[in-house]
Amino acid sequence: MSSIVDTLLSGQLLFAALVTGSLYALVALGLNLVYGTLRMLNVAHGDVVMLGAYGAYWAFSVGGISPIVAAPAVAALGALAGLAVHRGLVRRLFATAGAGSTRLEGNSLLLFFGLSIILQNAAALAFTPNARGLAYWTEVYHLGNVAMTGNRIAALVIAGATCIAVAALLGRSLLGLSMRAVIEKREAATIVGIDVDRVQAISFALGFATAALAGALVSMLEQISPFTGFPFTIAAFIVIILGGLGNLFAGLGAALLLGALETYGVALTSANMRSVLLYGAFVAALLLFPKGLFARRARAA
Amino acid sequence: MSAVPVPAPATRAWAVAGLLGAAALAALPFFANPYLVATGLTLLMWLALTQSWCLLSKLTGYVSLGHVVFYGLGAYLVVVTWQSWPLPLAIAAAGALAALFAALIGLPVLRVRGPYFVILTFGIAELVKYSILAAEAASGTASRILFGAPDLIVIYFAMFALAAAATLLLVVVGRSRFGHGLRSLRENEEAAETLGVPVVRYKLLAFVLSAAIPGMVGAVMALRSTYFVVGQVFDPMISVTAIAMALLGGGDDTRGPILGTLFLFIVSEVLWIRAPLAYMLILGAVLAGFVLVAPGGILGLLDSRRARGASGA
Repeated sequence: MSSIVDTLLSGQLLFAALVTGSLYALVALGLNLVYGTLRMLNVAHGDVVMLGAYGAYWAFSVGGISPIVAAPAVAALGALAGLAVHRGLVRRLFATAGAGSTRLEGNSLLLFFGLSIILQNAAALAFTPNARGLAYWTEVYHLGNVAMTGNRIAALVIAGATCIAVAALLGRSLLGLSMRAVIEKREAATIVGIDVDRVQAISFALGFATAALAGALVSMLEQISPFTGFPFTIAAFIVIILGGLGNLFAGLGAALLLGALETYGVALTSANMRSVLLYGAFVAALLLFPKGLFARRARAA
Repeated sequence: MSAVPVPAPATRAWAVAGLLGAAALAALPFFANPYLVATGLTLLMWLALTQSWCLLSKLTGYVSLGHVVFYGLGAYLVVVTWQSWPLPLAIAAAGALAALFAALIGLPVLRVRGPYFVILTFGIAELVKYSILAAEAASGTASRILFGAPDLIVIYFAMFALAAAATLLLVVVGRSRFGHGLRSLRENEEAAETLGVPVVRYKLLAFVLSAAIPGMVGAVMALRSTYFVVGQVFDPMISVTAIAMALLGGGDDTRGPILGTLFLFIVSEVLWIRAPLAYMLILGAVLAGFVLVAPGGILGLLDSRRARGASGA
């Protein structure tokens, strides 16, 4: 019994919770931008994480390139993919369904669900459905009685720094200001002369880039498969629902909370409970905040 | 002159085609080989699931991405009560269990709207799946083998009855005052409530009605495989396939599910065994493509062609 208490109080679990939480924060950040500026739930968001992880994996196993070096390139590719999806699919969806129509949200969800199925199975066709992993920077460092591998420290630092950098960018720059304006009230943003289409394109690029970057970090920490992405989508949804739309700092807190819930919950029960905890938190969050934390005002036509 | 299509003969043609199809399916086991009967069984299963899904999601606009939870619960009940309950009782109880589950979660869940409802239903189905998986792992049962399942012919006719019941239910509900109430709340829930539609009660009733038959379908399908794995009967792709079939068909009456089910069923029969991954790619493309290109589905395409034809070129 006392050994369980020792484990709970040791810094080891806290470190694990921080690493998981910072990754969730990074993934949720991108989903938050896309949902905020477009009101579309991108259920394929986690699949961008998966593709980023494969990008870093192949760079490492074929070219011998460190995932940390590959990460910026993977993020850049993610940004391009985001722009392509915005141009090719989202603008088209706006054209068929009409922006602001009630059908749009449901239709966009089905569109992204279809995209998710395509990405997962295309990845399974191209890379086989088997899980694979890479061993990079597994050297162990000690801080007090906490043992940390180099790759986990790197993931925590890079994910945390990126979250803070993006949040600071959005807090201070004109781009950030116009992005928050679109998140809060799209029609009003148009009236004051903000190019909403451009802001949405940038949101997609930034959202996909951060997701791909998170994927590159994930490739160092765990085994990846074509179906790695979906739990990240669910985790990011929980973070957005708890942290609130467009509120990036609250999202950071919610992500750390979720990381702690998962890490300590699994430590207290068993690994079988990981999905139960994740989906339990998801269902509870949605039932407590039926419209998301930000009750959306009925948009006047 | 007029661009309005003439509905009456078309409706009659649909009814005749439907009855002929039903007669063919009813006669199938008397002349076909077991492989063909099993194929027909799968077709009937999808038809029953898709018609049931439409009762909730097409009529009310509340798109459920978690209908597999009812299917899985029904299948699980039959397996757990295997050889201790008589089969007809277990199948009826499976329908009752699914309906009861829908009634219990319905009120809080149906308060959640739009895309949040879609992902919530998905989350609930996954939560139930992983909870049962965790409970099974804790008790040490990973899978079960079922001996003494009834003959394929018996299973086939049970499924035929369920598919017919799901279709008739959608016909009856769609034409009733209740069905018109559901359509009105789909268009504008607040306005419908103001006009006196008992919105909460109607939504809940639609949810419960759309759950019962999938519960029994799951129970009957559990008899088909002698080897039972929890993950399989709660596979989210069952929900997705039913939605894809309904979207493909289009419309909000029984014709859409029939057309969509037939179309996707033929695609899957051709591809599934030879190239399962390619089949999943096509399923995803069908979902995304129809949303982008033809949000009205096959029926929408037919109607717009008919309208163009009637306008006289």
